[in-house]
Amino acid sequence: MNTSYSNPYATRLCLKAFLSLAVLAALVTLFPSLSGQANAQTPPPVFSDAVENSAQSIDRMIMCPVCPSKTIDQAQEVEISRQMRVIVREMLADGSERQEILDFFVQRYGQDILAAPPKSGANLVAWLLPVGGVAAALVAVFFVIRAMTNRSTAPAVSIPAPDDSLSPYLQLVDRHLLLNQGGTSNRTGTGVQSPGTEPPKADPEANKGD
Amino acid sequence: MADLGAISLWIALALAAYSTIGSVAGKIRTSPALVESAQSAMYGAALALLVATFSLVIGFISRDFEIAYVAAHSDLAMPSQFTWVAFYAGNEGSLLFIAVTLAIMASLAVWRAPEKLRDALPYTTAVLMLTLTFFLAVTSVMANPFDKLPFTPADGEGINPLLTHFGMFFHPPALMAGLISITIPLAFATGSLLAGKSGDEWVDVGRVWGIISWVLLASGLLLGSWWAYTILGWGGFWFWDPVENAAFMPWLALTAFIHSIMVQKRRGMFRMWNIVLINVAFGLALYGMFMNRGGSVPSVHSFGASALGWIFLMFLAIGVIVPFAIFIWRYPLLKSARNLDSMLSREAAFLVNNLLFLAIAFVTLWGTVYPLISRLFNNEEITVSRPFYDQVNGPLMLALVFLMGVGPLIPWRKANLDSLRRSLLPPAIGGLATVAVLAALGLHKNYALIAFGLAAFVTSGILMEWYRGARSRHRSSGENYAAAFLHLIWANRPRYGGYIVHLSVVMVTLGIVGASFFSIQKDVVLNPGESVSISDYELVYLGSVETPKGNRTEFASTVQIFRGGDLLETIQTKRAFYPSFNMASTNAAIRSTPVEDLYIVPSENMPDGSVGFRILVNPLIWWMWVAGPVMVIGTVIALWPQTVPVPARAPSPGRVATRPTAA
Repeated sequence: MNTSYSNPYATRLCLKAFLSLAVLAALVTLFPSLSGQANAQTPPPVFSDAVENSAQSIDRMIMCPVCPSKTIDQAQEVEISRQMRVIVREMLADGSERQEILDFFVQRYGQDILAAPPKSGANLVAWLLPVGGVAAALVAVFFVIRAMTNRSTAPAVSIPAPDDSLSPYLQLVDRHLLLNQGGTSNRTGTGVQSPGTEPPKADPEANKGD
Repeated sequence: MADLGAISLWIALALAAYSTIGSVAGKIRTSPALVESAQSAMYGAALALLVATFSLVIGFISRDFEIAYVAAHSDLAMPSQFTWVAFYAGNEGSLLFIAVTLAIMASLAVWRAPEKLRDALPYTTAVLMLTLTFFLAVTSVMANPFDKLPFTPADGEGINPLLTHFGMFFHPPALMAGLISITIPLAFATGSLLAGKSGDEWVDVGRVWGIISWVLLASGLLLGSWWAYTILGWGGFWFWDPVENAAFMPWLALTAFIHSIMVQKRRGMFRMWNIVLINVAFGLALYGMFMNRGGSVPSVHSFGASALGWIFLMFLAIGVIVPFAIFIWRYPLLKSARNLDSMLSREAAFLVNNLLFLAIAFVTLWGTVYPLISRLFNNEEITVSRPFYDQVNGPLMLALVFLMGVGPLIPWRKANLDSLRRSLLPPAIGGLATVAVLAALGLHKNYALIAFGLAAFVTSGILMEWYRGARSRHRSSGENYAAAFLHLIWANRPRYGGYIVHLSVVMVTLGIVGASFFSIQKDVVLNPGESVSISDYELVYLGSVETPKGNRTEFASTVQIFRGGDLLETIQTKRAFYPSFNMASTNAAIRSTPVEDLYIVPSENMPDGSVGFRILVNPLIWWMWVAGPVMVIGTVIALWPQTVPVPARAPSPGRVATRPTAA
């Protein structure tokens, strides 16, 4: 889709497009088969399935230089991305590794041609900060929960353990609640229990013996 | 019509401003008459906005090209059903749409508000009307849809062809309504804080309106994905585009909120936390609207690029700072009524759930701002796109699916380890068995195996609960299983509606995993009569027909699909070129089955009659689109008003006696 919205990036894109064309001109001399490709009517060369498979995953890592936030895999009919896709395949067929191909494009277009920051150098921050943040938050939540439970155990000590003789009655109450709630267990929480009356085996599921 | 619309817009603005000031003044000076007149002004504003809306609709229907907005977004050739879409095709109409939605929802919410909120209601009204005033001020001053052209052009510029798709009838309005409606739970929370309430009164309305926003956003996101899948022609449905993210983040915060609000409803806990969550959700919604209306990141959604950016940024700052300031001011009121009983309780599970949802939102926000940070501090241009989010958010989402299986099975307060084992064992067996069977069948992608295992875990947990519930009803009342099941669901709608929504999330998971890990893609150029094989399909391209139509040229290409020598279907792909927009739109031909989609999209029509096709086999993606309606049904069930439970009667001995004593 040739979406050509007017947007504030137009100038940046134009610049990029110009650069891309310059790079392209250099590339065409590097890869002779490209000059045939400039004419869209000739079918693209066919590569083996293995090449095609790894090529597709590389395509999804490389941004199209002239279209906002699309990879060369997505921007199917944009000329430059078509040519870049052919380069990816030719390099693979020549035995290049995935990383070499990515580096090749980074050298020519800059780091932002990749769809994700590299996991090295200063950009490691991009990857580690979320991981560290989530880990720290998990630890924090653990301590919050623990602090909240500790506070509540204090009064709970004074509550005597429920009398065993009460438990048939409590089971009856549970079952009745079960009926009123249409067969759900008391896990749904009924809001009517006060902390003292909760029997240790409040869960009817536990008493059913299935 | 333009004049009527413009006048009603100004009237609405005046009424909204009056309602804001009147509510607060009336409350402070304890003048019920003033409060009441402010409330009436709110209803009046809604009415005036309806008039403005109808004026614009009539402007479109009569193709009144004197109105600049109508001229810019429609033309004589536009079929009239697209009036609905053209209405919000640009900033001006979108803002009017947002304003009228907010005004109507606010009126409904205040009108239907329960008695116990009466004290807080003037403040709630003020918050709602302040937001409306902002949107109306922007609309009437900076982006007025009723501005006139100095002359009347003979024809308009036409509607953006990307919008002429069925999905576009619902995706943008659902998202806009979803984003703006977060104002309502926020207004109830903030209103109740301002009135000095302890914070439990607003919970019921907060939950209902929170879920309404949630389902609007969720359907908007799903419809957007579906639209992208069928029309953008690259075979995917979600690209972590900055604007997609901007709508996704408030949804995440809201999801955390509608879970956590249940804890407050049931147990009177997490009062502060819920206020924080709704404030965060509102802040993210404002951020989403800012990104949409003039954000600074390139995106396929950059349709609203405009000068509105800075003013939305300002409102974003106010909308984040003020509610948090009120929260901090009223902090002492918000002490929990109770404490947690155990680490192993549903309350704790909800906290972890909240954490994970916020973590995904945070990662997404981080990915959106990292390019700016890199530019500022490393002086390096960086792109953060799909590979980043897939890798970082993927595991977090799987953890959430796991939690979705565990959470509903953990009892409130304190889990008994023994009973927990009992209730988790069957679903765990279900999940592990699924993994074993899939691995035996030769599926060796670990990530996908885990995801399928978790999906089976959640599903069997839900089915087990339903089975147990239906069985106990069946035994106690003799209903057959089907009736028992339906009554079971009806008897506890919030819970079982939630389960249905959970099932729909499992379906979305299946679709995402299927399409992300198992899709096969082929790009080919075919001449008429040539064929290509993909997976076990054989496709024959028969030929294309070119039809010039009004504003576009349509290429329809016919493809036959064979499998094992049998003709399955003859299918047509479409590609239209719009010269006036220099834009092409594609319509993928999709043969959709629950097992897999065969997806054919024409990417290029060559002059010699050959066509460039992209062909994909996308397993399981069908489930993702079916999940949408399932989710809406589940939400409606969960929201269906539940009659206030009657105080428990003494158990009639007869009924209890008929129940088997399995213990």
